[in-house]
Amino acid sequence: MKKTVLDYALKIRLPLTLFVIATTFVLTYYISRPERDGIGYAPEQPIKFSHKLHAGAMAIDCQYCHTDVAKGRHATIPSVNVCMNCHSVARKDKPEIIKLTQYYEEGKPILWKRIHKVPDYAYFNHSVHVNKGIDCASCHGDLKEMEVVSQVRQFTMNACLDCHREPHKNLPYLEKVNIGPENCAACHR
Amino acid sequence: MNDNRNSNDMKKDFWKSIKDYNDDPEVLEVKANEFMEGVTDDFDESKLSGISRRKFIALLSASTAFAATACTDYRDKGEIVPYNKRPEEILTGKANYYASTCTGCSQSCGILVKTREGRPIKIDGNPDHPINNGKTCAKGQASILNLYDPERLKYPMIQGRRSDWKNVDQEIISQLNDSKKLNKEISIVTGTLVSPAMKKLFDDFTSQYPNTKVYQIGLVSDQIRREAWLESYGSYDYPAIKFEEATIILSLDSDFLGNEGSFIENMQKYTKKREVIDKVSFNRLYVAEGRMSVTGAMADYRISISPDLQYQFVLMLMGELIKSGSAINLSNDILSKINSVSGDLKIDKTKVAHLLKDLNSNRGKSIIYAGDTLSNDVHVAVNLLNEILGNTTLYDYSSSFKSLMHYAKAEELSQLVDSMNNDKVGVVIHLDSNPVFTLPADFGYESALKKVTATISLTEAVNETSTLCKYALPINNQLESWGDANYRSSVYSLQQPVIAPIFDTRQKEAVMLTWISGEPSTYKDDVYHKYLMSYFNNSAYSKRNRLSDEKSFWYSALHDGVISYEEEIQRSSFRLNSFINTKQDFQSNGYTVHLTESYFVGDGRFANNGWLHEVPHPINKITWDNYASISPALAKELNVEMNDLIEISSEGKTLTLPVLVQPGMADKTINIELGYGRTVVGDVGNNVGFNAIGLMTKNYSSSPFVNNNVSISKVNGKHKLVSTQEHHSLDDTFVKDFHRIRKIIQEGTVEEYNNDPHFLHHEKHEVFGITREHKYTGVKWAMSIDLNKCTSCTACITSCNVENNIPVVGKDQVERGREMHWMRLDRYYSGTPEDPIISNQPMLCQHCDNAPCENVCPVNATNHSPDGLNQMAYNRCVGTRYCSNNCPYKVRRYNFFDFRDHFEDEYYQNNLTALINNPEVTVRSRGVMEKCTFCVQRIMEARSDAIAEGRELKGADVVTACQQACPTNAIVFGDANDPESRISKLRKHNLAYHVLEELNIKPNVTYIAKLRNTHPEEN
Repeated sequence: MKKTVLDYALKIRLPLTLFVIATTFVLTYYISRPERDGIGYAPEQPIKFSHKLHAGAMAIDCQYCHTDVAKGRHATIPSVNVCMNCHSVARKDKPEIIKLTQYYEEGKPILWKRIHKVPDYAYFNHSVHVNKGIDCASCHGDLKEMEVVSQVRQFTMNACLDCHREPHKNLPYLEKVNIGPENCAACHR
Repeated sequence: MNDNRNSNDMKKDFWKSIKDYNDDPEVLEVKANEFMEGVTDDFDESKLSGISRRKFIALLSASTAFAATACTDYRDKGEIVPYNKRPEEILTGKANYYASTCTGCSQSCGILVKTREGRPIKIDGNPDHPINNGKTCAKGQASILNLYDPERLKYPMIQGRRSDWKNVDQEIISQLNDSKKLNKEISIVTGTLVSPAMKKLFDDFTSQYPNTKVYQIGLVSDQIRREAWLESYGSYDYPAIKFEEATIILSLDSDFLGNEGSFIENMQKYTKKREVIDKVSFNRLYVAEGRMSVTGAMADYRISISPDLQYQFVLMLMGELIKSGSAINLSNDILSKINSVSGDLKIDKTKVAHLLKDLNSNRGKSIIYAGDTLSNDVHVAVNLLNEILGNTTLYDYSSSFKSLMHYAKAEELSQLVDSMNNDKVGVVIHLDSNPVFTLPADFGYESALKKVTATISLTEAVNETSTLCKYALPINNQLESWGDANYRSSVYSLQQPVIAPIFDTRQKEAVMLTWISGEPSTYKDDVYHKYLMSYFNNSAYSKRNRLSDEKSFWYSALHDGVISYEEEIQRSSFRLNSFINTKQDFQSNGYTVHLTESYFVGDGRFANNGWLHEVPHPINKITWDNYASISPALAKELNVEMNDLIEISSEGKTLTLPVLVQPGMADKTINIELGYGRTVVGDVGNNVGFNAIGLMTKNYSSSPFVNNNVSISKVNGKHKLVSTQEHHSLDDTFVKDFHRIRKIIQEGTVEEYNNDPHFLHHEKHEVFGITREHKYTGVKWAMSIDLNKCTSCTACITSCNVENNIPVVGKDQVERGREMHWMRLDRYYSGTPEDPIISNQPMLCQHCDNAPCENVCPVNATNHSPDGLNQMAYNRCVGTRYCSNNCPYKVRRYNFFDFRDHFEDEYYQNNLTALINNPEVTVRSRGVMEKCTFCVQRIMEARSDAIAEGRELKGADVVTACQQACPTNAIVFGDANDPESRISKLRKHNLAYHVLEELNIKPNVTYIAKLRNTHPEEN
């Protein structure tokens, strides 16, 4: 009697439990991976700005608004006066533009929700990458098709290193590209 | 044996205390009762909470779980806030630089302020400035912390209560008008005046309020030098010295390479004759001093002499030197006066013989330079001696030290105090000055101040004077201010604000302008800006015949920070009468107290700056204190050692302070640094150190800083002095000369080097490696430090602190060896305690090719980069500290705490001080190791610039923070793989060596061995 209970516990119950725990963990880990890495994160923005319209339909170059991306570490979201270059004339009657004009006139900054983020201790430099000819879409996805911006790629150390190690595979459009640095101080300091 | 143990007279093998050993009944009782009586007496069950522990834990965990699930939007990454209208010049992530002028002391060095997104984060020298040539001192570097000091005065106060400017202005203007009507004096007490626009403002003020008197005061200033110059040459302005042309320099208690006068400039000039790269043509430095100064540590020959014997010393030299002629005619009076001095000075005769020989054979190419703290008589005698030797050729009249007004003499200040006491003063205005602290107590300034109705203090932070004043008015920090300076002839520099006032503060000049106008509503933020501009257009513009119009000239001057023009002060011949009047009333019969300026807190104005308190003293490495430095012989005589307290009394005044036994001190001289012991300054600086101004008197006989009317006694008690380097290496026979035996310090003499340039490398061991050598193909970073040029001024340490977000840890932590400086200046003594030779060595991470720290890290947090950097990934570090244990140079620093949080109840942990952080460097938290990175953030910035410009990165593109600050350019950084670079040439230099070379760890910091220019026959 005693032996059968022990046998049952050891031979069936225990492996079964372990199996269920392991499967649950592995499944959850993999299924939630993109979620945890922020893929698909598309928060509502204070102004419904459409990249699809501006970058897609009207084919405005990224650097027309994101002016500093080739000069410094940050790509920088344009300040309100950049928007007003056009919108002091264009589409002044639309509700979102009225909102925008209001920001401009009140001198208030727009609090855009942040979508892409690397941790504080990682120092990513936009200008280095852009000046090497890497396309914005390689990390940020095809913004020309995005009505609302969402994150499409992982921004983990693994994702960085993947590209640094195999740039030819990840950036096939670049004919001449060197392997990216892999040392700690390239990003951490 | 066992039997023995049981017997009554058994002696215990192990015992906890003497009482335990003697079987004291008290101890036995304690042993019997596990819990002492009364331990649980206070325990009252009824007062406890009704909630059981189990219930409490259940509630706590449930609420945490609910809170965690309900309240987190873990995907939320915050916001990005761009400008509404971005200023054109600001590029997010890129620094802007503005030229300005430092007001930390009267020297008015040109500075270049680095700002990020509108906030200043670093101060460096302005490379276009002709005086300081792009360099600043430690004080200038650290002064940026004063802008972000959380204890700055934030709003105007009347009698300690918050008020507003309009109210304050109204009241003060009516007080000023009252004084005008009643014909009472309006006294302005100011620090050294260097701004000509401010001088004009004083004139305007005086024409509005005619009974105004301005008093210029300074704690340690060049007042005595100027007054002596006035006597000798009839001018209050004196020329700079061409140290770069002097072959023999004799410094008499002058710290001209340490903290006296224009020391940044002097260091640069002096080291021009300490170059070893191509041709060795050295000057020879003699220092005769009673203390051990930075200059003394640099000396080729150092003569210990009490400061009150300097007059006799100069006359003795004069007497010997006139035997072989004089460049000027001397009357018989003078000759007999010179020869009247006799007596044994008890100083090293061989050194004096060398000195006399050198001075004699280098007439016209040598200079004798007396210190600011020596008496008028010494200065006049030195002026004569330089005349006799024809050394006046080394006076640089085109670069003189100008004066906009004279310093107030002791008699004038006494008169001011009398007037205050007799109700003859209506208003006292303290302009950025602190006379209650800096004036000797026997002036009675403090009590006199209480008798004046309208007392005003314009100050950045509270001080001893402002708390006694009715009105305490906050003024702008130097980085928020407009201004100008014309301290040196031919150089006019401008000061511009780089940040808008953070608090409700005003420019002190603007406040004065409002009072001149007599109407509070006339104040506008740009009122002084306009005043300065119009002054500039009217005076400075005309000084240079310019082709540009006034406005473009103003903007170009503002951009450069400085304009140069032709100017020379008048020369006149030496007035022999001034020497006849000198007297030798100093008779050293006992102890002499010599008071000198602090290397860090200045006249006390930097006393709330944690960075400066924590920089180790250049010589004895003490932090957070001042002390009485005494010679080993005097220590023996008084039977004291380091940390023991002594009492120094002089004419009823006493000062008790700890002792530091300093090798090399003159036997009966006690040296104390001034500026410490402030009582009202802020949480950081309150009661740090001891206030030695208490030993000064207004009725001094010769010099206020030299007091030989003192008695000393040992008193009970101790005060722990904390230093970052041990003090006993001279006495300990085991460690004595270790640094030479282990070749940490390698030195030679000029003679040795000239005879055999290779002399350092004769005994080279062959070292074997067991690992394969790594090939560095691209750039390989390396540094070299020229020990001939290092004066251990500590500018590098401070610059590194600011650049790399190094926290202040506090005295208690330094005591435990937890200081966080990435760089330290090691000081080694050799020779005897009476006459030590000092060797300095900056020590930082050596970025070894075979770094021993790397292979012991269990998590690979520290490893090597392909460009030769020893990298440290903070977010990977788990804090085992193995690396630090395995580092032979001991340059790794561990964060035992989050020091910003730990120091003085989070003193530097606030939103204001956080603005000082360099955003390109991680702020390290508790539990991680850190160390010098060779300023990797600057390397990465240079790299990204090179990529943007489509060119290869060159070694010369990168300047590290320490290199940028080093006043003598002793530090060189660059690409070791570039054969054309300076660094690769230095690495191959005959004098180049590595510390602990035999370990075969291949360090990448090369030291250039120091050569001493001693006389050949001594080798």
